[in-house]
Order: sequence, then structure tokens, then C-alpha cells
Amino acid sequence: MNGSSSHSRSSIGKKQLVAATGLFLILFVVAHLAGNLFIYGGPEAFNGYAKKLVGLRPGLYFLEAALLVVFLIHLDATARLVLENLRARPTGYRQGAPAGDRQGHSAAGGSFASRLMPWTGAVIVAFVIWHLLDFTFVDRDGPAGILPDGRSYGLFGVVYNSLGNPVHCVLYIAAMLCVGTHLSHGIQSFIQTFGLVGERRLPAVRRISNALGIAIALAYSSIPIYVQLSFWVFSRRGV
Amino acid sequence: MAKTINLILNVWRQKGAQDKGRFEVYKADGIDTDMSFLEMLDVVNERLMKEGKEPIAFDHDCREGICGACGAVVNGRPHGPMAKTTLCQLHMRRFKDNDTVTIEPWRARGFPIVKDLVVDRSAFDRIMASGGFISVKTGSAPEANAVPVRRRDAETAMDAAACIGCGACVAACPNASAMLFVGAKVSHFGLLPQGRVEAKERVRGMVARMDAEGFGNCSNHYECEAACPKGISVSTIARMNREYLSSQEMIWTKES
Repeated sequence: MNGSSSHSRSSIGKKQLVAATGLFLILFVVAHLAGNLFIYGGPEAFNGYAKKLVGLRPGLYFLEAALLVVFLIHLDATARLVLENLRARPTGYRQGAPAGDRQGHSAAGGSFASRLMPWTGAVIVAFVIWHLLDFTFVDRDGPAGILPDGRSYGLFGVVYNSLGNPVHCVLYIAAMLCVGTHLSHGIQSFIQTFGLVGERRLPAVRRISNALGIAIALAYSSIPIYVQLSFWVFSRRGV
Repeated sequence: MAKTINLILNVWRQKGAQDKGRFEVYKADGIDTDMSFLEMLDVVNERLMKEGKEPIAFDHDCREGICGACGAVVNGRPHGPMAKTTLCQLHMRRFKDNDTVTIEPWRARGFPIVKDLVVDRSAFDRIMASGGFISVKTGSAPEANAVPVRRRDAETAMDAAACIGCGACVAACPNASAMLFVGAKVSHFGLLPQGRVEAKERVRGMVARMDAEGFGNCSNHYECEAACPKGISVSTIARMNREYLSSQEMIWTKES
């Protein structure tokens, strides 16, 4: 019997596959956020960062390919787990109530974040496709990068024009709330699925995980809000 | 003087495994609040039998909260609204006059319904037979102080050993996962030196059986811990996950 394949076919093996790929994706989300925050440094800083990143090619292609593979493994293993979970209870309860809020029990049961994992995950997949079309596969020096003053600002301008659209802005923030919700459960799940902490530290891990999820969602969401405010100030000045 | 209450029961009735089943409404009038939930069902059944109707089938044995035989989902919660309480230890004083009480069996593919509220939990027995034991030579007991056990390990193993195998964890889990049960057994045996010897075969065998029985996969909701009448901690699942991963190394390096 092949050891690695029996592991990845088992329930816990699949969970650990999701957790391991999830960690890689969490690290990407944090690194991507750090890069995005260059937008607060103005067009030179932001475009400079984007240029440096492109300058890392062809090594970057390797990283991007790895990211895609990890993303697909994460989706594949999750889809299998979710389908098995649906099959595990063919008939549901007439009356469902979370056990966590029972009398005399202080620890909460499942949070809304844990129940929503497949749904927030699905939103993230849709968002990633839209996001790539919006920012990655776009002509940075074309008309998309021209701001209202008539000058081209490259990728910085592309970002401003996209997030300046109120609909894009709202969708972007909604997607980031999904990312934050997903991570608030994902980070603590990673710790639990590899059994890295015991009973005493688990409540702290859950709090840290929730805080990180909220912090990441807020940090990402600050960018479209900042862009909206910039446009508003710009139009008030009438320049 | 004992107080009495009147209840309206929505009870799942199912003649057998092949029957589709349905909810039936029963009036449970004049229920003494000092009764346990199972005694309340006894009273309802007596009245049903007097009317020539089929009594409600439910599992029970010790009625002291230590055997793990009883259990039903009451108003959406396995073993009812109280924390760390089995159904037999739930008292009717926890209910109010004219309450509607919905009583359902455990719902899981791994626990097929036998009749009404009775489910077949032999899947747990098969999981136990796949590694939930310690192989020792029978004979005279060894000297008790010959095998040192760390104080903390002894306590944690004892906490895990409190599992009575009632299946409330499976019933409460949104994924009908049995990982709290298996985690408790893996912890119970694996933390003690006598059980440590077979820890790797145990976790692999029990997890493989658990998967084959059609239980779902834990997604860390922790509903199981909240529903468990013995307060088994989800840290037992963490320990099982860790042991399962480390047991893999053995397959890779194994000769056969």
C-alpha cells in the first residue's frame, strides 16, 4: 500500500492537505497585502514596487505556478470533504440549534465563520478571477491607467480607476470581508488540524485567529475607501 | 408538593429501517417536574399502550448518566438543553408549562435508524475493534508502581476516558463527524505507557474504520464539545490529528 496516497485519501489526510495549502495561501494573502499598502506611498512607490516584482521574473513564474497548484489542491480537497460531509447526514434535523449556547456551557460552538467556510471560499474563487481580469491581465499603460488629470499613472492609475467605481469599491470590500471571515476560521483550523496546541492554548489561538481575520479584512478594505476619499477630495478641489 | 406541567411532544416515529418515518404529535399532560426526561417518555408510553398504540422506542440502560445508551435530539440539541447532561439525567423542571418539545433520533449515515428514536451505533463498536484496545498478556496484574505515568498524562487520559460512546458528538456535528469519539479513544489509550506501544497502528486503524463507516469530516465547529455529556475536549481531536500525521512516517519507512 502506498503510504502517501492512503494519507491523502483519509479524512484527516485531506484536512491536513487543506490546512497545509491554506497556510501557503494565508502567507500569500499577507504578502500581497504588504505590497498593496505601497499605494499609500503614491504612484512612484506603488509602481516601483510593481516593477520590482515583475523584475523577479522568471523566478516569479515559478512562484505563480506553485500558487495556482496550491490553490487548486486546496479547492479539490475541500470539495471532496464538503461532498462527504453532505453525504454523512442524508436526513437533517427538523429543529437545529447550535449546541454551544446551551445552559451552563460557556464555550461557544461553531461560529458563523466556520459554517460559512464553503460559501466564503466560493466568493473568494469568484473574486480572484475577477481581480486577475481587473488588475493583472490589463494593459497598464493603456487608457485604464489615465486619471482625470489626463496623465497616465500606469498600474497606480488602473487601481484608482477600478476602485473609484463605487460598484467595484463595494464589491471589493464585500470580497475582503469574505477573505477575513474565511481566514478567521482558517488560521485556527490550521493550528487544530495539525494538532499544534492543546486544550489550554486553544481559546487564545481562536481569539488571535479572529483578530487576524478582522485585521486583514480591514487593512485590505482601507484601500478602496482611501481611493474613494481621494477622488472625493480631488473633485472638491476641482483640479 | 410536586409541580406538574403539560407538554406537547413532536416525536419522530419510524417503524423500521425501511420506513420513511414522520413526526407525530402527542400530548403529555400532568408531567411531574421531578421526573427525568426518560421517565416522562415512560409515562407517555404507558398511556399510548393503554390506548392500544405502539409505544415510542428509545434506548436506555443505567439511567445514571454513565452508560451512554440513551440519547435523542431534544429541541435541536443532543441530550437536550443542559450542558454536560445525558438525556436520562435531564429533568422535566428544565421545561416550562405548555412547552412544545421536538424529539428526534441521532441523524447520521453512520447511525442508521432502527426504530423511532433508536439508532444502530454498532459503527462505534467496529471503530473500537479496529484499535481501541491495548494488547496485553492476561495473567496476574503487574505491580502498580512498576510503570510510572506522568501526573498530567494520567489526568488527561482520564478526562478522555470519560467518553461513554453515546454518539452525541456525531449528532451535534454539522458534518456528522465522529472525530471527537475517535479523538477521545486515541487520547485515552495513547497517553498511557501501556497504550503508547500500539499508538500508531491504533490511530490509523480507527481513522480508516471511521472513514469507512460513512461519518463526515471535522471542520472545527466544536459543536461536539458543547454537546458532549462528559465534556470531552476538542483538544483530543488535535492530538488525534497530530498522531495520525506522525503515524504516516511509519508507512513510508515500513518494510512490508
